[in-house]
Amino acid sequence: MAQFRLHGTKVLAVTLSGGGDTVKAKNGSMVAYDGQMAFKKMTGGGEGIRGMVTRRLTGEQMTVMEVKGQGTCFFADRASDISLVRLNGEKLHVEASNLLCTDAGLHTGTSFTGLRGATQGNGLFTTAVEGTGEAALMSAGPAVLLRVSQGAPLQVDPGAYVAHQGNLRQSFQSGVNFRTFMGEGSGEAFQIRFEGDGLVYVQPSERNTVGGEL
Amino acid sequence: MTTDAPQVFDFTTLPANDNVNPYAFSVDLNGQWFLQKGKMIAYYGQIDFHGIGHGPLDRLVASSFHSPLHAADWVVAEGHGKLLLADRAFDVNSYDLDDGNLTVRSGNLLAYEPSLSLKQSIIPGFLTLIGTGKFVAASNGEVHFVEPPVRVDPQALVGWADCPSPCHHYDHQYLKGVMGGIRAMTGLGGASGEEHQFEFVGAGTVLIQSTEMLMADRNAGAVPDQAGVPGGGGHGGHGGQSGQGGQQTPQLPGQLGGLQRRFGL
Repeated sequence: MAQFRLHGTKVLAVTLSGGGDTVKAKNGSMVAYDGQMAFKKMTGGGEGIRGMVTRRLTGEQMTVMEVKGQGTCFFADRASDISLVRLNGEKLHVEASNLLCTDAGLHTGTSFTGLRGATQGNGLFTTAVEGTGEAALMSAGPAVLLRVSQGAPLQVDPGAYVAHQGNLRQSFQSGVNFRTFMGEGSGEAFQIRFEGDGLVYVQPSERNTVGGEL
Repeated sequence: MTTDAPQVFDFTTLPANDNVNPYAFSVDLNGQWFLQKGKMIAYYGQIDFHGIGHGPLDRLVASSFHSPLHAADWVVAEGHGKLLLADRAFDVNSYDLDDGNLTVRSGNLLAYEPSLSLKQSIIPGFLTLIGTGKFVAASNGEVHFVEPPVRVDPQALVGWADCPSPCHHYDHQYLKGVMGGIRAMTGLGGASGEEHQFEFVGAGTVLIQSTEMLMADRNAGAVPDQAGVPGGGGHGGHGGQSGQGGQQTPQLPGQLGGLQRRFGL
């Protein structure tokens, strides 16, 4: 089983013990390694032809490589901050562009998340990570973990959303009204509303979204 | 700094009017706050965002918002809850003013309490906050506070408090002689890029950030095209008696421009 640990906040070190121990990582994110490593690009995120077509259609493309070997491999991407998430059979939803590395024990797929993605310009879908093992998420600035519980729903700016897990319902909240079209928009016209029980990862930065301009 | 269990925040454990981490600030909203667009990353509770110009906010805007040219960039958050603010993963800090004044680069100001009032500084691109209350501003890297007299690199300046005389300072060496003229005109040769600073004297505090990389400002807050308004007049020379207006007419290769004046030609 691959061992994930953080070196500082921006470098992920994964120790592989050989013998078919593998992880999937964002293509090109390896910065250094020791020991013996083999890198293999996985076409279509390693989800087969069907996964590849789905990803292409949904806009959740990710280029992933499979890392196999023995030793320690270091991953980093544009000095993004990294958070580790340990999964024991739960499901984690994450933006494909925020996923750095997953354990071989996790499988990834594409899931429909409703209208949220529309404001984000990267489709209506997120990547679902499921299984047992660790996953590493990237965020611009250290991610803030926010708990959603009954009676305390959370609203998140689509541009700051990174990932969520748990039993959450999400809905799309819009404050667009006639003022928006008169150039008096509030700039916070779209939010994703999370209700239920779970955790949401938010980054202290916003991607450019269509909604952000309204 | 390896934390095995990252801290999870919820509605009650989020700090009230304090930093969550160096890059995110939590406002305990109970009433109204002014907020620059796009700086809210998440919130708990019942909060509405109104564009400035929204009818019911007239009284609030009249008392605390005096920058019509920035109105399109600001909103009022109204309601109860916890509001998380952040800006492109830059450091954010809150500042308390006690019957004071502070001027800050307009792109760096995230939010402020309505007990403060926001005005445009006469220095273009800066906003001045006057009154008593809390505001949140971002900086690229940590903020350092220095006491005047001090000269600051233009790109590293975040803002200043109480200083009465922010002005430009040019090194004499840079302007001297024929080479200086050629440098000034063409930008070629011998320029270290540090010949121009902002100078502050008098009692006060100057805020600088630890990098010279500016945040991309929204191109907003142009000052009115009026005689006597520095930086005013989008169309060069239109400002009447403002011979030294903000805009310089572009120099043609044949013209000697500054050199001509220097040698009295």
